[in-house]
Amino acid sequence: MDFDGLSVDQAPPISAPIRFFVTAPLFAVLAGILILFSDVAVLSSRFSTHTIAITHALSVGFLSFVMFGALLQMLPVLAGVRISKVDLVAKSSYAFMLVGTLSMIFGLWFDISKLILLSSLLLGSGFLILIISMLIALKGVVNVTASVRAIITGLIFALLITLMGMHLLSSYGIGKFSDLHLLFANIHSVWAVFGFAGVLIIGVAFHVLPMFYVAPRFKKFCKQKVVWLVTSGLLLWLFLNIFIESYSTIGKIWVALFFWAFSTTVYLKLNARRRKVSDITVWYWRSASIFMTLGTFAWAINDFFDEKYIVIVSILIGGGFILSIMSGMLYKIVPFLVWFHLNAKGYMSIPTMNDMISKKLAKAQFFLFILSLIGFIVSFFIPNILPLFAVTFIISMAILEYNIVIPILIYAKIIKTKPDFDMSMFEMKVEK
Amino acid sequence: MSTIKEYLTQDHSRCDELFANMEDMAAKSIESAKEAYDEFARETERHFQMEERVMFFEFEQKTGMTQGPTAMMRHEHAQMRNLIAEMGKAIEAKDKDKFFGNSETLMILMQQHNMKEEQMLYTMAQQHLSAESDRIVDMMQSMIVE
Repeated sequence: MDFDGLSVDQAPPISAPIRFFVTAPLFAVLAGILILFSDVAVLSSRFSTHTIAITHALSVGFLSFVMFGALLQMLPVLAGVRISKVDLVAKSSYAFMLVGTLSMIFGLWFDISKLILLSSLLLGSGFLILIISMLIALKGVVNVTASVRAIITGLIFALLITLMGMHLLSSYGIGKFSDLHLLFANIHSVWAVFGFAGVLIIGVAFHVLPMFYVAPRFKKFCKQKVVWLVTSGLLLWLFLNIFIESYSTIGKIWVALFFWAFSTTVYLKLNARRRKVSDITVWYWRSASIFMTLGTFAWAINDFFDEKYIVIVSILIGGGFILSIMSGMLYKIVPFLVWFHLNAKGYMSIPTMNDMISKKLAKAQFFLFILSLIGFIVSFFIPNILPLFAVTFIISMAILEYNIVIPILIYAKIIKTKPDFDMSMFEMKVEK
Repeated sequence: MSTIKEYLTQDHSRCDELFANMEDMAAKSIESAKEAYDEFARETERHFQMEERVMFFEFEQKTGMTQGPTAMMRHEHAQMRNLIAEMGKAIEAKDKDKFFGNSETLMILMQQHNMKEEQMLYTMAQQHLSAESDRIVDMMQSMIVE
Protein backbone atom coordinates (compact mmCIF):
# COMPACT_ATOMS: atom_id res chain seq x y z
CA MET A 1 0.00 0.00 0.00
CA ASP A 2 1.28 3.44 -0.87
CA PHE A 3 1.47 5.34 2.36
CA ASP A 4 2.62 8.56 0.79
CA GLY A 5 -0.83 8.99 -0.67
CA LEU A 6 -2.36 8.58 2.74
CA SER A 7 -1.26 11.89 4.05
CA VAL A 8 -3.80 12.66 6.69
CA ASP A 9 -1.35 15.28 7.88
CA GLN A 10 -1.36 17.48 4.82
CA ALA A 11 -3.30 20.63 5.45
CA PRO A 12 -2.94 23.25 2.72
CA PRO A 13 -1.42 26.56 3.85
CA ILE A 14 -4.03 28.91 5.31
CA SER A 15 -3.56 31.38 2.47
CA ALA A 16 -4.78 28.84 -0.12
CA PRO A 17 -8.47 28.81 0.87
CA ILE A 18 -8.51 32.19 2.61
CA ARG A 19 -7.73 34.26 -0.48
CA PHE A 20 -10.79 32.77 -2.18
CA PHE A 21 -12.97 33.39 0.87
CA VAL A 22 -11.94 37.01 1.32
CA THR A 23 -12.57 37.86 -2.31
CA ALA A 24 -16.01 36.22 -2.58
CA PRO A 25 -18.16 38.75 -0.67
CA LEU A 26 -16.49 41.60 -2.58
CA PHE A 27 -17.90 40.19 -5.81
CA ALA A 28 -21.32 40.04 -4.16
CA VAL A 29 -20.94 43.73 -3.22
CA LEU A 30 -20.04 44.45 -6.84
CA ALA A 31 -23.14 42.51 -7.97
CA GLY A 32 -25.24 44.64 -5.61
CA ILE A 33 -23.77 47.83 -7.05
CA LEU A 34 -24.51 46.64 -10.58
CA ILE A 35 -28.11 45.84 -9.59
CA LEU A 36 -28.38 49.33 -8.11
CA PHE A 37 -27.38 50.89 -11.43
CA SER A 38 -29.42 48.55 -13.60
CA ASP A 39 -32.49 49.13 -15.63
CA VAL A 40 -35.09 46.86 -14.06
CA ALA A 41 -36.68 46.01 -17.39
CA VAL A 42 -33.33 44.72 -18.69
CA LEU A 43 -32.82 42.54 -15.62
CA SER A 44 -36.11 40.73 -16.09
CA SER A 45 -34.63 39.07 -19.17
CA ARG A 46 -32.22 36.29 -18.27
CA PHE A 47 -30.33 36.62 -21.55
CA SER A 48 -29.47 40.33 -21.38
CA THR A 49 -25.72 40.85 -20.99
CA HIS A 50 -26.32 42.93 -17.86
CA THR A 51 -28.24 40.09 -16.24
CA ILE A 52 -25.50 37.64 -17.23
CA ALA A 53 -22.84 39.94 -15.76
CA ILE A 54 -24.71 40.21 -12.45
CA THR A 55 -25.55 36.51 -12.14
CA HIS A 56 -21.91 35.61 -12.81
CA ALA A 57 -20.58 38.17 -10.35
CA LEU A 58 -22.56 36.09 -7.86
CA SER A 59 -22.24 32.59 -9.27
CA VAL A 60 -18.60 32.71 -10.35
CA GLY A 61 -17.37 35.58 -8.15
CA PHE A 62 -19.06 34.61 -4.93
CA LEU A 63 -20.26 31.01 -5.06
CA SER A 64 -17.49 29.31 -6.99
CA PHE A 65 -14.81 31.21 -5.06
CA VAL A 66 -16.25 29.94 -1.79
CA MET A 67 -16.85 26.42 -3.11
CA PHE A 68 -13.38 25.94 -4.54
CA GLY A 69 -11.74 27.60 -1.54
CA ALA A 70 -13.60 25.16 0.69
CA LEU A 71 -12.74 22.18 -1.51
CA LEU A 72 -9.04 23.06 -1.33
CA GLN A 73 -9.35 22.90 2.43
CA MET A 74 -11.72 19.96 2.74
CA LEU A 75 -10.42 17.41 0.24
CA PRO A 76 -7.70 16.18 2.60
CA VAL A 77 -10.27 15.83 5.38
CA LEU A 78 -13.32 14.54 3.52
CA ALA A 79 -11.52 12.36 1.00
CA GLY A 80 -8.13 11.87 2.62
CA VAL A 81 -6.27 13.00 -0.48
CA ARG A 82 -3.84 15.74 -1.15
CA ILE A 83 -3.72 18.03 -4.14
CA SER A 84 -0.18 18.05 -5.42
CA LYS A 85 1.49 21.49 -5.50
CA VAL A 86 -1.60 22.84 -3.77
CA ASP A 87 -0.10 26.28 -3.19
CA LEU A 88 0.77 26.73 -6.85
CA VAL A 89 -2.66 25.43 -7.91
CA ALA A 90 -4.40 27.81 -5.49
CA LYS A 91 -2.32 30.84 -6.41
CA SER A 92 -2.44 30.43 -10.17
CA SER A 93 -6.13 29.52 -10.37
CA TYR A 94 -6.99 32.40 -8.06
CA ALA A 95 -5.15 34.90 -10.23
CA PHE A 96 -6.82 33.57 -13.40
CA MET A 97 -10.25 33.51 -11.82
CA LEU A 98 -9.96 36.94 -10.24
CA VAL A 99 -8.92 38.71 -13.44
CA GLY A 100 -11.20 36.44 -15.48
CA THR A 101 -14.31 37.23 -13.45
CA LEU A 102 -13.63 40.97 -13.50
CA SER A 103 -13.02 40.87 -17.27
CA MET A 104 -16.22 38.94 -17.78
CA ILE A 105 -18.34 41.30 -15.69
CA PHE A 106 -16.97 44.49 -17.21
CA GLY A 107 -16.61 43.03 -20.68
CA LEU A 108 -20.28 42.07 -20.77
CA TRP A 109 -21.43 45.23 -18.99
CA PHE A 110 -19.66 47.63 -21.32
CA ASP A 111 -19.73 45.31 -24.32
CA ILE A 112 -15.96 45.10 -24.86
CA SER A 113 -15.34 42.02 -26.98
CA LYS A 114 -11.60 41.71 -26.27
CA LEU A 115 -12.29 41.71 -22.56
CA ILE A 116 -14.96 39.03 -22.98
CA LEU A 117 -12.61 36.83 -25.02
CA LEU A 118 -9.88 37.32 -22.43
CA SER A 119 -12.30 36.34 -19.67
CA SER A 120 -13.23 33.13 -21.48
CA LEU A 121 -9.57 32.14 -21.61
CA LEU A 122 -8.75 33.17 -18.04
CA LEU A 123 -11.84 31.74 -16.37
CA GLY A 124 -11.46 28.55 -18.35
CA SER A 125 -7.82 28.19 -17.28
CA GLY A 126 -8.55 29.00 -13.64
CA PHE A 127 -11.42 26.54 -13.33
CA LEU A 128 -9.68 23.80 -15.31
CA ILE A 129 -6.55 24.02 -13.17
CA LEU A 130 -8.63 23.57 -10.02
CA ILE A 131 -11.01 20.93 -11.33
CA ILE A 132 -8.37 18.78 -13.02
CA SER A 133 -5.92 18.88 -10.13
CA MET A 134 -8.73 17.94 -7.74
CA LEU A 135 -9.94 15.10 -9.94
CA ILE A 136 -6.38 13.79 -10.24
CA ALA A 137 -6.02 13.92 -6.46
CA LEU A 138 -9.34 12.11 -6.04
CA LYS A 139 -8.06 9.20 -8.09
CA GLY A 140 -6.08 8.21 -5.01
CA VAL A 141 -9.05 7.92 -2.65
CA VAL A 142 -8.82 4.77 -0.55
CA ASN A 143 -12.27 4.84 1.02
CA VAL A 144 -14.92 6.00 -1.44
CA THR A 145 -17.76 7.36 0.68
CA ALA A 146 -21.05 8.94 -0.41
CA SER A 147 -19.50 12.38 0.05
CA VAL A 148 -16.50 11.50 -2.11
CA ARG A 149 -18.78 10.22 -4.87
CA ALA A 150 -20.78 13.45 -4.69
CA ILE A 151 -17.64 15.58 -4.88
CA ILE A 152 -16.37 13.67 -7.91
CA THR A 153 -19.78 13.95 -9.62
CA GLY A 154 -19.95 17.67 -8.85
CA LEU A 155 -16.46 18.20 -10.27
CA ILE A 156 -17.29 16.36 -13.48
CA PHE A 157 -20.31 18.62 -13.92
CA ALA A 158 -18.03 21.58 -13.15
CA LEU A 159 -15.67 20.44 -15.90
CA LEU A 160 -18.50 20.29 -18.45
CA ILE A 161 -20.05 23.61 -17.47
CA THR A 162 -16.64 25.28 -17.62
CA LEU A 163 -16.16 24.10 -21.21
CA MET A 164 -19.68 25.21 -22.12
CA GLY A 165 -19.15 28.52 -20.35
CA MET A 166 -15.94 29.14 -22.31
CA HIS A 167 -17.80 28.47 -25.54
CA LEU A 168 -20.72 30.72 -24.58
CA LEU A 169 -18.45 33.58 -23.53
CA SER A 170 -16.44 33.32 -26.74
CA SER A 171 -19.71 33.63 -28.67
CA TYR A 172 -20.40 36.91 -26.91
CA GLY A 173 -16.80 37.93 -27.55
CA ILE A 174 -16.92 37.42 -31.29
CA GLY A 175 -20.61 38.33 -31.55
CA LYS A 176 -21.56 35.16 -33.42
CA PHE A 177 -24.06 32.80 -31.90
CA SER A 178 -24.70 29.25 -33.00
CA ASP A 179 -28.22 27.88 -33.35
CA LEU A 180 -27.61 25.91 -30.21
CA HIS A 181 -26.58 28.96 -28.16
CA LEU A 182 -29.73 29.10 -26.03
CA LEU A 183 -29.74 25.37 -25.52
CA PHE A 184 -26.10 25.48 -24.37
CA ALA A 185 -26.85 28.41 -22.08
CA ASN A 186 -29.74 26.49 -20.58
CA ILE A 187 -27.70 23.32 -19.99
CA HIS A 188 -24.83 25.40 -18.62
CA SER A 189 -27.02 27.11 -16.03
CA VAL A 190 -29.11 24.10 -14.98
CA TRP A 191 -26.07 21.84 -14.62
CA ALA A 192 -24.16 24.55 -12.75
CA VAL A 193 -26.91 24.99 -10.20
CA PHE A 194 -28.02 21.38 -9.72
CA GLY A 195 -25.16 19.28 -11.05
CA PHE A 196 -22.25 21.20 -9.58
CA ALA A 197 -23.42 23.35 -6.64
CA GLY A 198 -26.41 21.20 -5.72
CA VAL A 199 -24.66 17.85 -5.78
CA LEU A 200 -21.65 19.24 -3.94
CA ILE A 201 -23.85 20.67 -1.20
CA ILE A 202 -25.72 17.38 -0.85
CA GLY A 203 -22.43 15.49 -0.58
CA VAL A 204 -21.01 17.79 2.05
CA ALA A 205 -24.29 17.85 4.00
CA PHE A 206 -24.11 14.06 4.45
CA HIS A 207 -21.04 14.65 6.60
CA VAL A 208 -21.51 18.11 8.02
CA LEU A 209 -24.99 17.87 9.51
CA PRO A 210 -24.50 14.68 11.54
CA MET A 211 -21.01 15.70 12.58
CA PHE A 212 -21.19 19.38 13.47
CA TYR A 213 -24.73 19.46 14.79
CA VAL A 214 -24.93 15.88 16.06
CA ALA A 215 -28.00 15.41 13.84
CA PRO A 216 -29.29 11.93 12.92
CA ARG A 217 -27.29 10.39 10.10
CA PHE A 218 -28.73 10.33 6.58
CA LYS A 219 -30.33 7.05 5.58
CA LYS A 220 -28.21 4.65 3.56
CA PHE A 221 -30.62 4.91 0.65
CA CYS A 222 -30.25 8.67 0.66
CA LYS A 223 -26.45 8.55 0.79
CA GLN A 224 -26.12 5.89 -1.88
CA LYS A 225 -28.81 6.89 -4.34
CA VAL A 226 -29.60 10.60 -4.24
CA VAL A 227 -26.57 11.82 -6.16
CA TRP A 228 -27.08 9.11 -8.74
CA LEU A 229 -30.80 9.96 -9.04
CA VAL A 230 -30.11 13.68 -9.44
CA THR A 231 -27.45 12.96 -12.05
CA SER A 232 -29.75 10.67 -14.02
CA GLY A 233 -32.48 13.31 -13.77
CA LEU A 234 -30.13 15.92 -15.21
CA LEU A 235 -29.16 13.59 -18.05
CA LEU A 236 -32.80 12.77 -18.74
CA TRP A 237 -33.58 16.49 -18.78
CA LEU A 238 -30.72 17.01 -21.25
CA PHE A 239 -31.95 14.20 -23.49
CA LEU A 240 -35.54 15.48 -23.48
CA ASN A 241 -34.38 19.03 -24.06
CA ILE A 242 -32.48 18.03 -27.18
CA PHE A 243 -34.88 15.49 -28.67
CA ILE A 244 -38.40 15.98 -27.29
CA GLU A 245 -38.38 19.46 -25.86
CA SER A 246 -42.05 19.52 -25.01
CA TYR A 247 -41.43 16.79 -22.43
CA SER A 248 -38.39 18.39 -20.78
CA THR A 249 -40.54 19.39 -17.81
CA ILE A 250 -40.52 15.73 -16.76
CA GLY A 251 -36.74 15.89 -16.30
CA LYS A 252 -37.11 19.11 -14.33
CA ILE A 253 -39.75 17.67 -12.02
CA TRP A 254 -37.54 14.61 -11.47
CA VAL A 255 -34.58 16.75 -10.39
CA ALA A 256 -36.78 19.18 -8.42
CA LEU A 257 -38.36 16.30 -6.53
CA PHE A 258 -35.05 15.06 -5.15
CA PHE A 259 -33.84 18.52 -4.21
CA TRP A 260 -37.14 19.17 -2.48
CA ALA A 261 -36.76 15.87 -0.60
CA PHE A 262 -33.21 16.84 0.30
CA SER A 263 -34.25 20.28 1.60
CA THR A 264 -37.02 18.80 3.71
CA THR A 265 -34.64 16.18 5.08
CA VAL A 266 -32.14 18.88 6.03
CA TYR A 267 -34.85 20.78 7.89
CA LEU A 268 -36.05 17.70 9.75
CA LYS A 269 -32.50 16.62 10.61
CA LEU A 270 -31.81 20.04 12.06
CA ASN A 271 -34.96 19.77 14.17
CA ALA A 272 -33.81 16.40 15.43
CA ARG A 273 -30.22 17.47 16.10
CA ARG A 274 -28.83 16.58 19.49
CA ARG A 275 -26.72 19.70 19.68
CA LYS A 276 -29.35 22.27 20.50
CA VAL A 277 -27.04 25.29 20.50
CA SER A 278 -28.27 27.50 17.68
CA ASP A 279 -25.96 29.81 15.80
CA ILE A 280 -25.87 31.74 12.56
CA THR A 281 -24.88 28.65 10.56
CA VAL A 282 -27.99 26.77 11.71
CA TRP A 283 -30.11 29.73 10.64
CA TYR A 284 -28.45 29.69 7.25
CA TRP A 285 -29.06 25.95 6.81
CA ARG A 286 -32.68 26.51 7.71
CA SER A 287 -33.16 29.46 5.37
CA ALA A 288 -31.44 27.45 2.63
CA SER A 289 -33.83 24.54 2.99
CA ILE A 290 -36.91 26.79 3.03
CA PHE A 291 -35.80 28.76 -0.03
CA MET A 292 -34.83 25.57 -1.86
CA THR A 293 -38.25 24.03 -1.22
CA LEU A 294 -39.91 27.12 -2.68
CA GLY A 295 -37.30 27.26 -5.45
CA THR A 296 -37.77 23.70 -6.66
CA PHE A 297 -41.53 24.18 -6.88
CA ALA A 298 -41.16 27.52 -8.62
CA TRP A 299 -38.68 26.00 -11.08
CA ALA A 300 -40.91 23.06 -11.98
CA ILE A 301 -44.05 25.21 -12.23
CA ASN A 302 -42.27 27.97 -14.16
CA ASP A 303 -42.47 25.89 -17.33
CA PHE A 304 -46.24 26.18 -17.33
CA PHE A 305 -45.92 29.97 -17.31
CA ASP A 306 -43.64 30.18 -20.30
CA GLU A 307 -40.57 30.63 -18.06
CA LYS A 308 -41.87 34.05 -17.03
CA TYR A 309 -40.73 33.65 -13.45
CA ILE A 310 -37.19 32.39 -14.06
CA VAL A 311 -35.77 35.43 -12.25
CA ILE A 312 -37.70 34.50 -9.11
CA VAL A 313 -36.50 30.92 -9.44
CA SER A 314 -32.90 32.14 -9.65
CA ILE A 315 -33.30 34.33 -6.58
CA LEU A 316 -34.84 31.48 -4.58
CA ILE A 317 -32.31 28.83 -5.58
CA GLY A 318 -29.14 30.82 -6.34
CA GLY A 319 -29.57 33.34 -3.54
CA GLY A 320 -31.79 31.57 -1.05
CA PHE A 321 -30.24 28.13 -1.23
CA ILE A 322 -26.67 28.27 -2.49
CA LEU A 323 -25.66 31.71 -1.21
CA SER A 324 -27.20 30.96 2.21
CA ILE A 325 -25.19 27.79 2.63
CA MET A 326 -21.96 29.36 1.40
CA SER A 327 -22.34 32.34 3.76
CA GLY A 328 -23.10 30.06 6.68
CA MET A 329 -20.04 27.99 5.87
CA LEU A 330 -17.78 31.05 5.81
CA TYR A 331 -18.83 31.83 9.38
CA LYS A 332 -17.59 28.46 10.57
CA ILE A 333 -14.62 27.76 8.38
CA VAL A 334 -12.74 31.09 8.52
CA PRO A 335 -12.46 31.46 12.32
CA PHE A 336 -11.71 27.76 12.60
CA LEU A 337 -8.87 27.95 10.09
CA VAL A 338 -7.40 30.89 11.95
CA TRP A 339 -7.53 29.01 15.23
CA PHE A 340 -6.27 25.78 13.67
CA HIS A 341 -3.25 27.25 11.92
CA LEU A 342 -2.24 29.39 14.90
CA ASN A 343 -2.58 26.44 17.24
CA ALA A 344 -0.55 24.24 14.91
CA LYS A 345 2.20 26.84 14.97
CA GLY A 346 2.36 26.68 18.74
CA TYR A 347 0.28 29.69 19.74
CA MET A 348 -1.74 28.84 22.81
CA SER A 349 -3.46 32.07 23.79
CA ILE A 350 -5.72 32.51 20.79
CA PRO A 351 -9.17 34.10 20.97
CA THR A 352 -11.87 31.43 20.73
CA MET A 353 -13.88 31.14 17.52
CA ASN A 354 -16.80 32.89 19.15
CA ASP A 355 -14.61 35.84 20.14
CA MET A 356 -13.52 36.38 16.55
CA ILE A 357 -16.88 37.24 15.01
CA SER A 358 -19.45 39.46 16.69
CA LYS A 359 -22.71 37.52 17.04
CA LYS A 360 -24.73 40.72 16.70
CA LEU A 361 -23.09 41.64 13.42
CA ALA A 362 -23.54 38.12 12.10
CA LYS A 363 -27.26 38.29 12.94
CA ALA A 364 -27.57 41.72 11.35
CA GLN A 365 -25.90 40.38 8.24
CA PHE A 366 -28.25 37.41 8.10
CA PHE A 367 -31.41 39.50 8.48
CA LEU A 368 -30.30 42.04 5.89
CA PHE A 369 -29.52 39.23 3.49
CA ILE A 370 -32.91 37.54 3.93
CA LEU A 371 -34.64 40.91 3.69
CA SER A 372 -32.79 41.60 0.42
CA LEU A 373 -33.85 38.26 -1.07
CA ILE A 374 -37.50 38.82 -0.20
CA GLY A 375 -37.16 42.39 -1.49
CA PHE A 376 -35.70 41.16 -4.80
CA ILE A 377 -38.68 38.85 -5.27
CA VAL A 378 -41.19 41.59 -4.47
CA SER A 379 -39.31 43.94 -6.81
CA PHE A 380 -40.11 41.58 -9.65
CA PHE A 381 -43.70 42.75 -9.30
CA ILE A 382 -42.98 46.30 -8.03
CA PRO A 383 -39.79 47.29 -9.89
CA ASN A 384 -39.47 50.74 -8.31
CA ILE A 385 -38.35 49.32 -5.01
CA LEU A 386 -35.42 47.31 -6.41
CA PRO A 387 -32.73 49.94 -5.61
CA LEU A 388 -33.67 49.86 -1.94
CA PHE A 389 -33.01 46.14 -1.76
CA ALA A 390 -29.86 46.44 -3.84
CA VAL A 391 -28.62 48.70 -1.03
CA THR A 392 -29.59 46.28 1.76
CA PHE A 393 -27.87 43.50 -0.19
CA ILE A 394 -24.69 45.57 -0.57
CA ILE A 395 -24.67 46.35 3.15
CA SER A 396 -25.26 42.71 4.08
CA MET A 397 -22.38 41.53 1.88
CA ALA A 398 -20.10 44.29 3.16
CA ILE A 399 -20.82 43.13 6.71
CA LEU A 400 -20.10 39.54 5.67
CA GLU A 401 -16.74 40.70 4.32
CA TYR A 402 -16.02 42.59 7.54
CA ASN A 403 -17.01 39.57 9.64
CA ILE A 404 -14.55 37.27 7.90
CA VAL A 405 -11.74 39.81 7.60
CA ILE A 406 -11.66 40.35 11.39
CA PRO A 407 -10.48 36.77 12.16
CA ILE A 408 -7.85 37.10 9.43
CA LEU A 409 -6.59 40.35 10.95
CA ILE A 410 -6.40 38.56 14.30
CA TYR A 411 -4.31 35.88 12.60
CA ALA A 412 -2.03 38.47 11.01
CA LYS A 413 -1.54 40.22 14.35
CA ILE A 414 -0.81 37.09 16.37
CA ILE A 415 1.51 35.56 13.81
CA LYS A 416 3.85 38.55 14.25
CA THR A 417 4.33 37.66 17.91
CA LYS A 418 6.40 34.80 19.28
CA PRO A 419 4.62 31.47 19.88
CA ASP A 420 3.97 30.83 23.57
CA PHE A 421 4.89 27.20 23.27
CA ASP A 422 7.58 25.51 21.25
CA MET A 423 5.82 22.92 19.15
CA SER A 424 8.66 22.36 16.73
CA MET A 425 8.97 18.84 18.11
CA PHE A 426 5.66 17.92 16.55
CA GLU A 427 5.55 20.50 13.84
CA MET A 428 2.64 19.97 11.47
CA LYS A 429 3.47 19.30 7.90
CA VAL A 430 1.77 22.35 6.50
CA GLU A 431 3.02 22.96 2.98
CA LYS A 432 4.94 26.13 2.55
CA MET B 1 -17.94 -8.71 17.60
CA SER B 2 -17.63 -5.36 15.82
CA THR B 3 -14.56 -4.57 13.75
CA ILE B 4 -11.99 -2.01 14.87
CA LYS B 5 -13.50 0.50 12.48
CA GLU B 6 -17.07 -0.10 13.64
CA TYR B 7 -16.15 -0.08 17.31
CA LEU B 8 -14.19 3.18 17.25
CA THR B 9 -16.65 4.90 14.88
CA GLN B 10 -19.49 4.05 17.24
CA ASP B 11 -17.42 5.41 20.10
CA HIS B 12 -17.07 8.72 18.22
CA SER B 13 -20.87 8.96 18.05
CA ARG B 14 -21.11 8.16 21.75
CA CYS B 15 -18.66 10.97 22.57
CA ASP B 16 -20.65 13.32 20.30
CA GLU B 17 -23.80 12.53 22.27
CA LEU B 18 -21.99 13.29 25.52
CA PHE B 19 -20.69 16.51 24.01
CA ALA B 20 -24.21 17.58 22.99
CA ASN B 21 -25.51 16.69 26.43
CA MET B 22 -22.77 18.77 28.09
CA GLU B 23 -23.59 21.79 25.90
CA ASP B 24 -27.29 21.40 26.71
CA MET B 25 -26.53 21.52 30.40
CA ALA B 26 -24.17 24.46 30.02
CA ALA B 27 -26.77 26.38 28.03
CA LYS B 28 -29.18 26.00 30.94
CA SER B 29 -26.62 27.05 33.52
CA ILE B 30 -22.87 26.79 33.48
CA GLU B 31 -22.77 25.53 37.08
CA SER B 32 -24.96 22.54 36.30
CA ALA B 33 -22.69 21.41 33.44
CA LYS B 34 -19.92 20.15 35.70
CA GLU B 35 -21.15 16.58 35.89
CA ALA B 36 -21.88 16.33 32.15
CA TYR B 37 -18.50 17.90 31.42
CA ASP B 38 -16.73 15.37 33.63
CA GLU B 39 -18.46 12.51 31.86
CA PHE B 40 -17.60 13.86 28.42
CA ALA B 41 -13.98 14.56 29.39
CA ARG B 42 -13.58 11.13 30.97
CA GLU B 43 -15.06 9.21 28.05
CA THR B 44 -13.17 11.21 25.45
CA GLU B 45 -9.93 10.58 27.32
CA ARG B 46 -10.82 6.91 27.34
CA HIS B 47 -11.32 7.01 23.57
CA PHE B 48 -7.94 8.74 23.08
CA GLN B 49 -6.19 6.16 25.21
CA MET B 50 -7.90 3.23 23.49
CA GLU B 51 -6.35 4.53 20.31
CA GLU B 52 -2.97 5.65 21.59
CA ARG B 53 -2.23 2.71 23.86
CA VAL B 54 -3.89 -0.08 21.92
CA MET B 55 -4.90 0.52 18.32
CA PHE B 56 -2.23 3.03 17.25
CA PHE B 57 0.37 0.96 19.04
CA GLU B 58 -0.65 -2.22 17.22
CA PHE B 59 -0.86 -0.37 13.93
CA GLU B 60 2.62 1.09 14.38
CA GLN B 61 4.04 -2.31 15.31
CA LYS B 62 2.49 -3.92 12.28
CA THR B 63 3.32 -1.30 9.67
CA GLY B 64 6.47 0.17 11.16
CA MET B 65 4.99 3.60 10.59
CA THR B 66 5.50 5.67 13.70
CA GLN B 67 5.77 9.06 12.06
CA GLY B 68 2.77 8.70 9.77
CA PRO B 69 -0.92 9.26 10.37
CA THR B 70 -0.83 8.02 13.97
CA ALA B 71 1.70 10.69 14.90
CA MET B 72 -0.60 13.31 13.46
CA MET B 73 -3.59 11.90 15.31
CA ARG B 74 -1.63 11.90 18.56
CA HIS B 75 -0.80 15.54 17.95
CA GLU B 76 -4.48 16.36 17.42
CA HIS B 77 -5.37 14.49 20.61
CA ALA B 78 -2.99 16.84 22.42
CA GLN B 79 -4.75 19.84 20.89
CA MET B 80 -8.14 18.51 21.96
CA ARG B 81 -6.99 17.64 25.49
CA ASN B 82 -5.88 21.23 25.78
CA LEU B 83 -9.27 22.60 24.70
CA ILE B 84 -11.12 20.20 26.98
CA ALA B 85 -8.99 21.41 29.90
CA GLU B 86 -9.79 25.02 28.95
CA MET B 87 -13.50 24.18 29.01
CA GLY B 88 -13.09 22.74 32.49
CA LYS B 89 -11.43 25.96 33.62
CA ALA B 90 -14.28 27.99 32.09
CA ILE B 91 -16.80 25.96 34.11
CA GLU B 92 -14.76 26.54 37.28
CA ALA B 93 -14.72 30.26 36.52
CA LYS B 94 -18.45 30.20 35.55
CA ASP B 95 -17.49 31.86 32.28
CA LYS B 96 -20.16 30.81 29.80
CA ASP B 97 -18.72 32.71 26.82
CA LYS B 98 -15.32 31.16 27.27
CA PHE B 99 -16.88 27.72 27.64
CA PHE B 100 -18.88 27.98 24.41
CA GLY B 101 -16.02 29.62 22.54
CA ASN B 102 -13.83 26.63 23.37
CA SER B 103 -16.57 24.05 22.84
CA GLU B 104 -17.28 25.40 19.36
CA THR B 105 -13.61 25.19 18.44
CA LEU B 106 -13.34 21.72 19.95
CA MET B 107 -16.39 20.54 18.03
CA ILE B 108 -14.93 21.45 14.65
CA LEU B 109 -11.47 20.19 15.50
CA MET B 110 -12.94 16.96 16.86
CA GLN B 111 -15.14 16.38 13.80
CA GLN B 112 -12.34 17.12 11.38
CA HIS B 113 -10.21 14.69 13.35
CA ASN B 114 -12.97 12.04 13.38
CA MET B 115 -13.46 12.38 9.64
CA LYS B 116 -9.75 11.75 9.02
CA GLU B 117 -9.78 8.73 11.32
CA GLU B 118 -12.98 7.22 9.97
CA GLN B 119 -12.10 8.03 6.38
CA MET B 120 -8.47 6.97 6.45
CA LEU B 121 -6.89 5.58 9.54
CA TYR B 122 -9.58 3.13 10.67
CA THR B 123 -9.89 1.80 7.15
CA MET B 124 -6.14 1.29 6.98
CA ALA B 125 -6.10 -0.24 10.44
CA GLN B 126 -8.87 -2.62 9.54
CA GLN B 127 -6.94 -3.74 6.47
CA HIS B 128 -3.66 -4.28 8.30
CA LEU B 129 -5.01 -5.69 11.53
CA SER B 130 -8.01 -7.66 10.31
CA ALA B 131 -6.65 -10.96 11.62
CA GLU B 132 -6.22 -9.50 15.08
CA SER B 133 -9.37 -7.39 15.00
CA ASP B 134 -11.26 -9.24 17.75
CA ARG B 135 -8.30 -9.29 20.08
CA ILE B 136 -7.68 -5.56 19.61
CA VAL B 137 -11.33 -4.60 20.16
CA ASP B 138 -11.32 -6.78 23.26
CA MET B 139 -8.19 -5.06 24.57
CA MET B 140 -9.71 -1.64 23.94
CA GLN B 141 -12.90 -2.59 25.77
CA SER B 142 -11.10 -3.90 28.80
CA MET B 143 -8.45 -1.17 28.95
CA ILE B 144 -8.15 0.75 32.20
CA VAL B 145 -7.67 4.49 31.71
CA GLU B 146 -4.41 5.80 33.12
